[in-house]
Amino acid sequence: MPDKIAFLPPKKSVLDRRDIIVSDLADLLPKGCLVSEPRGLVPFETDAFIAYRNVPLAVALPETTAQVAAVLKYCSGYGIPVVPRGAGTSLSGGAIPQADAVVIGLSKLSRILDVDYANRTATVQAGVTNLNISEAVSADGYFYAPDPSSQLACTIGGNIGMNSGGAHCLKYGVTTNNLLGVKMVLFDGTIIDLGSKALDAPGLDLLGLVCGSEGQLGIVTEATVRLIAKPEGARPVLFGFQSSEAAGACVAEIIGSGIIPVAIEFMDRPAIEICEAFAHAGYPMDVEALLIVEVEGSEAEMDAMLAGIIAIARRHGVSTIKESQSATEAALIWKGRKSAFGATGRIADYICMDGTVPLSQLPYVLKKTGEIVARLGLRVANVFHAGDGNMHPLILYNINDPEDAARAEEAGNEILKLCVDAGGCLTGEHGVGIEKRDLMLHQFAPVDLDQQMAVRAAFDPQWIMNPSKVFPLEGRPAA
Amino acid sequence: MSEVHQPVSEDAAARIIHTAAAVGAPLVLRGGGTRSLARNDEGHEILSSARLSGIVSYNPAEMTMTAKSGTPLADILAALAEKRQMLAFEPLDLRPVLGTTGNPTIGGVFATNASGPRRFVAGAARDSLLGVRFVNGSGDIIKAGGRVMKNVTGLDLAKVLAGSRGSLAFVTEVTFRLLPVPETAATIVISGLNDAEATAAMATALSMSVEVSGAAHLPETVRGRFLGGDLPAAATVLRIEGLSASVAVRAETLRAAMASFGAVSMLDADATDRLWREIRDVHPYADGTLRPLWRVSVAPTVGHQLVAALRLETGVDAFYDWQGGLIWLRMEAEAEAGLLRHFIKALGGGHATLVRAAPGILATTLVLEPQPDAVAALEARIKAKFDPKGIFSAGVTG
Amino acid sequence: MQTTFTAAQLADPHVAESEAILRKCVHCGFCTATCPTYVTLGNELDSPRGRIYLIKDMLENGRAADEEVVTHIDRCLSCLACTTTCPSGVDYMHLIDHARIHIEQTYRRPLKDRFVRAVLAAVLPYPSRFRLALRAARLGRPFAGMMKRVPLLKTFGVMLDLAPDTVAPASDSTRPGNRPAQTARRGRVALLSGCAQPVLKPGINEATIRLLTRLGIDVEVPAGEGCCGALVHHMGREEEALAAARRNVDVWTKAITDGGLDAIIITASGCGTTIKDYGHMLRLDPGYAEKAARVSALAKDVTEYLSTLDLPRLEPKRVTVAYHSACSMQHGQKITVAPKALLKAAGFTVRDPAEGHLCCGSAGTYNILQPEISATLKARKVKNIEATRPDIIATGNIGCITQIATGTAIPILHTVELLDWAYGGEKPAEIDIAN
Repeated sequence: MPDKIAFLPPKKSVLDRRDIIVSDLADLLPKGCLVSEPRGLVPFETDAFIAYRNVPLAVALPETTAQVAAVLKYCSGYGIPVVPRGAGTSLSGGAIPQADAVVIGLSKLSRILDVDYANRTATVQAGVTNLNISEAVSADGYFYAPDPSSQLACTIGGNIGMNSGGAHCLKYGVTTNNLLGVKMVLFDGTIIDLGSKALDAPGLDLLGLVCGSEGQLGIVTEATVRLIAKPEGARPVLFGFQSSEAAGACVAEIIGSGIIPVAIEFMDRPAIEICEAFAHAGYPMDVEALLIVEVEGSEAEMDAMLAGIIAIARRHGVSTIKESQSATEAALIWKGRKSAFGATGRIADYICMDGTVPLSQLPYVLKKTGEIVARLGLRVANVFHAGDGNMHPLILYNINDPEDAARAEEAGNEILKLCVDAGGCLTGEHGVGIEKRDLMLHQFAPVDLDQQMAVRAAFDPQWIMNPSKVFPLEGRPAA
Repeated sequence: MSEVHQPVSEDAAARIIHTAAAVGAPLVLRGGGTRSLARNDEGHEILSSARLSGIVSYNPAEMTMTAKSGTPLADILAALAEKRQMLAFEPLDLRPVLGTTGNPTIGGVFATNASGPRRFVAGAARDSLLGVRFVNGSGDIIKAGGRVMKNVTGLDLAKVLAGSRGSLAFVTEVTFRLLPVPETAATIVISGLNDAEATAAMATALSMSVEVSGAAHLPETVRGRFLGGDLPAAATVLRIEGLSASVAVRAETLRAAMASFGAVSMLDADATDRLWREIRDVHPYADGTLRPLWRVSVAPTVGHQLVAALRLETGVDAFYDWQGGLIWLRMEAEAEAGLLRHFIKALGGGHATLVRAAPGILATTLVLEPQPDAVAALEARIKAKFDPKGIFSAGVTG
Repeated sequence: MQTTFTAAQLADPHVAESEAILRKCVHCGFCTATCPTYVTLGNELDSPRGRIYLIKDMLENGRAADEEVVTHIDRCLSCLACTTTCPSGVDYMHLIDHARIHIEQTYRRPLKDRFVRAVLAAVLPYPSRFRLALRAARLGRPFAGMMKRVPLLKTFGVMLDLAPDTVAPASDSTRPGNRPAQTARRGRVALLSGCAQPVLKPGINEATIRLLTRLGIDVEVPAGEGCCGALVHHMGREEEALAAARRNVDVWTKAITDGGLDAIIITASGCGTTIKDYGHMLRLDPGYAEKAARVSALAKDVTEYLSTLDLPRLEPKRVTVAYHSACSMQHGQKITVAPKALLKAAGFTVRDPAEGHLCCGSAGTYNILQPEISATLKARKVKNIEATRPDIIATGNIGCITQIATGTAIPILHTVELLDWAYGGEKPAEIDIAN
């Protein structure tokens, strides 16, 4: 059984000064922007990775970049750890605090600052939700492409922190491919701007480094993102198969044939049942695996692309093909898929894996995943972005049973190692966070991590930014 | 003449770098040597990737390829062509403009983030780069990223190496994503627009759901240099790619929408292919001169304003790619870096790189855009983390 | 999520129920996005997920409520947008109900709050007292500004602002008795008169009676019926709420026994949500559980019932209606299609304002107890409604009507008033004013 993942031990020097720190922070922030009372801190102890929890020292909810800078300057001055938080939807524990940390929540920075259709950009504060951006420009025919399943709630700041993906990234790329610029605050309160509405930025690609850095390089307070004109039409089509392996092989052949739909999503039978119960989307219930394939464009284009996909699906023994007949039906199909994780809560607690594998390995990894979970006496539901090999086995367990929880964690570790060994990686879009931190050495050699940590230290020499995450505690450079 | 190291293995490269670091001897990193003009490598030893060559793995079904950094770009493009695949970002070839003869390498393509017309929809070279192996300035062999499309495991070091111009590390191997070659392509040409009208036309085209994959404006002064002089007037050109049936439908939609801007005509797939190569490789300014040539990146809608502002002050010629956001700017005489950068700033930001100039001008001009102090300091700290002894610094002027 | 209740704690059925609710929450955070107070205040503690955590912490530790927890629970509108959003099926309504009862039992509010709440609980559920209070309010209106500057009186100043300009005399619609069908008899229903609505807008139930009887429905207004109990229920005054529920269950059970009922018609969706919950509220009372469940099953919003009557489709009229779905309608009762379908069939052009899931800030007595948040939400709601450029606003809840009316010049009517007009009734007076 794996041990619980350790956070850095809290600094006594910080804990001892708690009252002073809280009082100083209160001076830096407007009324209603600091949480410091014991009851109020408890709800900040975790995010959507609920297996781990730590009540923080205080929570700052700044309303401006200047306030973020003031808090960071103060914290770096006293070596106080800082944990950034968007909407707290991380599935890898990216926003879980530690006892000596000040959480900086960006939820009050929720304004859309500029929408520029001629240049197809939107500039928004970090606490704006992903979906808010698309909703703000939808009536004018645009959208923001990356669409993590939590897009209703997750913030653009959090998306940048994790380099979030989503179902439609198969065609449009992930956050880093759709981000043009940020305003961010470095550990010492320095405010910098990276990128702009221009496509290329000068110098080193710091924006590329910051995107996906999990709150370790600084705190983004504003972002300029690309908008894309909405396609003429979009049509999700459901393909049902009698085995997961057949569905997996079908995905590999679709991509290999040179057809790239907007999205190819996979659900196995448990996932179908869970999602249908919530969304009533009309998923076929008599299949072992389901692919949601979305094509878009003009009618002619969608028809042509679908014809190719259907031909491939038939070769893999597809048993049901169902095209969505209306916008409402299409919306329900996506609602079901995007609510999959939450809807799983109806039947069990879960931990959600996020490994990515080469497409050719999909059937094998699916099979092995089933074996690992069965061996440990657990259940699994698979629902994931098949088109880019980004798997999300949901390991179902009972969090109130410590042995069950430990087995679930063990299964998770084995599955992620399996993904790496199959030529993939630990995490495709959820981030390393606390969850996968101690598996990093399975994917990287110590020298690889040393280089990453060295770059990290160029941004945050004191290691105060989200310090318990991403890099294994052993082997870290002396701060 | 500088000594040129041509290691045949990653280990050998690491040993060379390790030795150089021990004595603090600068090394200039070189790929195909096609861009040597903007480098200041006099008297320094050169570390070349020329013999680190070859495709390591190519999996068409997964649309990924791994190649050693010194692999000639031509070899890679040939292998991809066999499977009707391509590099989405259309790497450009600056040899005609620079008057150099080297053999571009895949490592060099990523080291310069060299991206062509499709960049504004399909991303730059950095967006296609999935993983790298490299030797840092201490001689450590390091890998970053991987070979799958989606990967957020740890810091994205591949991104910062892309476009770093050999200032951080010696890249030995790259893994990148590919796209299928579109079945066909067409170009809509709107004739006779001035720069401002063209900007409006391109913005309109990009607001439509017809998936324009190239948007350039070729003003009257340059149009004669494209397609052997076949373009009748200043040409605003919009490329559409995809399945045949779809391209036909979208082209018609776009043609109808563009009619309100000016006379519209259409180019077939072959002419489209040729035109966009010429745009990509800056054909008008492959003029055999060393007149200063700038590559300017700004917000698309301000590109023409920048050129108009400069025209009032100095002699310039220009054409636009990326919907107006990429300007190829040729100065008549002086580089005018100060003036140019002043206007860029005034128009909301962006940056300018001096791609070509006579040696005298190069020696006295900041080739790369200077950064604000806080960012410059951060960059310096990052460089020191890759290359603590500073042995790779000599390669980049600026 | 993980819970740590002891077996002894779980012996209490309320705690056991809350534990089961908490176990479903996976902390995904989707609910934060559609929560009006989180959207307004940007603090996790003012989101459903934050409140769930506060409640869990309080209940698990068997702790009395304290000011910090109460502050954030009090800010909850009970709009239940979170419940619509929640993919995990967390029954937030019954969790927060439990929390409110726990607060009421274990927390002593400051004198001012206790006074305000006592006055509300003593006045609003009783039509005669409420009418008297409103008449007094007209006299008091000139002092509203002054009162709002005095902390102890501030809340009453807010109330004066909400009071209508005119107060109608007691409506005939509340007089007990049967209103026979005017055409061939198709059914028999009981109509809830309720408490505040007939005082503020007697026209709503008058229109309902006209429309239903014209459609061949016997409408019974049973004697002895009163406030549904929602008001005190949301204050955590459990015994008072249950007493109201039992009284109404008795009244309707008698009506069922006497002549049979096809439905119990409710014209205020806030009341509907509570009455539909009687079965749950009284589930532990062996004498009432079954009867209450029967009443809940018969309870129907008037639009829900009307949509079973196959009303004829009418010619389009040139009247654009912005339909505001009350939270108790769309989230509490999940009625989203029927009201709009009825309006469209009746010839109205129906528009959906943006952010339709967000509360208008009325939420029972919320606009009195939390005036700042309520005012922010009202402004946001009115802006979204006015953006659709409607001639009329329609909704199905008296609280929303009162709230939104104080923020816009566009007339706001109950859906049933428009339907009554369309299907042969008189044109509502408000529309004449507008035209």
